[in-house]
Amino acid sequence: MPYSFTKIEKDKTVTIGFVFSFLILFYFAASWLIVALGKSYVYSNDRTFVFQSLNLGQSVIVLGIALVIGYGHWSYATSNLIAKILGVLRAESLNPKDTYHQRLQNIVDEVSVVTGGTKMDPVVIPTMAINAFAVSDFSGRAVIGVTEGMLARLTRAQLEAVVGHEAAHIVTGDCLATTVTSSLFELYSGMLRGFEALFRGGGLGRRRYSSAEFRGGAQGAVFVILIYVLLMITKLLSQMVRLFISRQREYRADAIAVRLTRDPLSLAEALYAISYRWRGAGLPAQELEAIFTVNPVYSALDEQKGLWADMFSTHPPVEERIGILLNMAHADAESLIKEVERKAKRPRISAPQVNAASKEWLVQKDGEWKGPFTLAQLPALDWITPETWIQPVGGDKVKMVYEDNDVQHALYKTGVGGGAGYNCPRCQVALQPLIYEGVEVFQCGCCQGTLVGETEIQRIVIRQEVGFSERIQRIAEGIKNEERMHGTRIIARDPKLLFTCPHCRHVKAKMLRMFYTEVYRVEIDKCHTCGMIWFDKDELEAVQYLIEDAVEKV
Amino acid sequence: MTVLLILAAVLAVLILWAVAIYNNFVQLRENTKNGWSQIDVQLKRRHDLIPNLVETAKGYMAHERGTLESVIKARQQAVDASTLKDKQAAENFLSSTLRSLFAVSENYPNLKADQHMRQIQEELVSTENKISFARQYYNDEANRLNTAVQSFPDNIVANAFQFKRREFFELEDASEKKTPQVKF
Repeated sequence: MPYSFTKIEKDKTVTIGFVFSFLILFYFAASWLIVALGKSYVYSNDRTFVFQSLNLGQSVIVLGIALVIGYGHWSYATSNLIAKILGVLRAESLNPKDTYHQRLQNIVDEVSVVTGGTKMDPVVIPTMAINAFAVSDFSGRAVIGVTEGMLARLTRAQLEAVVGHEAAHIVTGDCLATTVTSSLFELYSGMLRGFEALFRGGGLGRRRYSSAEFRGGAQGAVFVILIYVLLMITKLLSQMVRLFISRQREYRADAIAVRLTRDPLSLAEALYAISYRWRGAGLPAQELEAIFTVNPVYSALDEQKGLWADMFSTHPPVEERIGILLNMAHADAESLIKEVERKAKRPRISAPQVNAASKEWLVQKDGEWKGPFTLAQLPALDWITPETWIQPVGGDKVKMVYEDNDVQHALYKTGVGGGAGYNCPRCQVALQPLIYEGVEVFQCGCCQGTLVGETEIQRIVIRQEVGFSERIQRIAEGIKNEERMHGTRIIARDPKLLFTCPHCRHVKAKMLRMFYTEVYRVEIDKCHTCGMIWFDKDELEAVQYLIEDAVEKV
Repeated sequence: MTVLLILAAVLAVLILWAVAIYNNFVQLRENTKNGWSQIDVQLKRRHDLIPNLVETAKGYMAHERGTLESVIKARQQAVDASTLKDKQAAENFLSSTLRSLFAVSENYPNLKADQHMRQIQEELVSTENKISFARQYYNDEANRLNTAVQSFPDNIVANAFQFKRREFFELEDASEKKTPQVKF
């Protein structure tokens, strides 16, 4: 049976309507109380406190105020909804050159096809954590976010199943309700955090606010406490609103994901892989937990069964979700665990390298093929012109000199050498672009040094495609065992010996010689203008090995 | 007078009911059309990718001319096919030749490591998935339409406005059709 969109559509509107009324009610109660207290204050004297209730007319006015505030809050929270959430999560858009990102884009497109063309934009969160989320807003824009850790660790089928689960949240519309409710209370928790920080930093310890600043002392203190109490109430309320973010929606999304991708086993595998490794996404705001596949904050409540847990947690126990999926796939838990572990241990490839020297060209002279010549030999041929026919050895693509960037660069030092425009800081030859761990880096064919961008290096250390030879392992272990207590990351060097950054060479920016981090003491050269890093031969792999080794031990 | 009013009310309800059913049919018909065009788009995408694939593979596996040529031939047949039945047969044949190409390519580690080849392979995998997903969506919607066209009382409206059943699009996977072998 096709899932019924109409039924789910109704659920969605009911939830959002409910939350909106809840908000108005809250503002009405709060402002009614404040006004009534104010009125009581006016009517009371020092000795006795007489609570003054509001009459109908005053209540109506207060209701009007509550409506205005509530509407303001609502429109503030729902405007630019997605951009705000993506900002909080530090999500990044995809890089079309990154092969992992291409795969994610493809998978999202595939799932979009099976839902009959729902538009969904993929984004990534640059963190090692393994998790995914979906958000959508009133304009119909929907975003599926996946962490880099997930891109690196899950197989294609597992990733497809997870994206199917997120797409299910989007097509059923429960994603919209969750997004709106989550962001509605984010405003207050942000204020509360700011408020608490203010008190910790100034109020108690250093007395940054003298009592003179609170004019009238006691009254000011009461006012501050009142605000604090109100904010605490909103925190409580936001937890209550979670009552309406039903756990059931996760089960339902799992079921629809299976309907979409017809692959319950992969979803079960993915859930297992997520829940038994680090799932946290470095989340700054607890209020956003409801939008994730598996709750990023491990909570004991989530993993409990029973009425109380059902009411107060956003996610059902992973174990139960996996159990249901295994049932669908007629599989058992033991083989699932074995399968996940087998797939996690994918065979590593040896590190890819550019081989500038091995690329040779045949050159046509008077209708005859001459050669082969290496790039370095080509300039010696005095009869070669931009319109000479050339052909790489091993391929059968015939083209003219001016059509090939590498050849043109070798001959005339014009155009973009190797398509990158960077020269090796050590050997001064053109760096060649190279896909390394799915991202584009630039390598020197002579010294095998590698230039890596700032965002690319984060992705490289998360991904685990490349294996490490015994030599690399020995080098890295050597670095680990060296007890060098420099106490600083930057290694003092004669400025004349510093490399000029291949990217910022026009402004003559120098690269600083430093350790990769305090913990991973591999020597690198980093440009502080653009953040690009130069790794000499083996250094990049050594950094990767050290980080993977440390993560493995955790 | 009362009888007339009741009759008018009944008529109004009947018309509203027919309109609702009619709109439902329109929705279903549009969904199947949309699903069908999606299948077409993805099949075309697959046809476009194949020359690229063969071109890249050629550089590494010159000795497998036969396999490569059969892929090219199968692709041409698929492009030329016009009727639904021909299309299904040609696409099935194309899938099987592609499978044998990938099976052979396992013997060429250099080809497998080629960045360009890996990219094309990812694109092909993605397109295959999209084809099967588009087919799944189309068949689901066609199934809903067909059920609605035949069930009473919707079929009255369907007959009156010429809503017809749609054929399913079957792409059989050769591996799925294999009879299970029993070994002792």
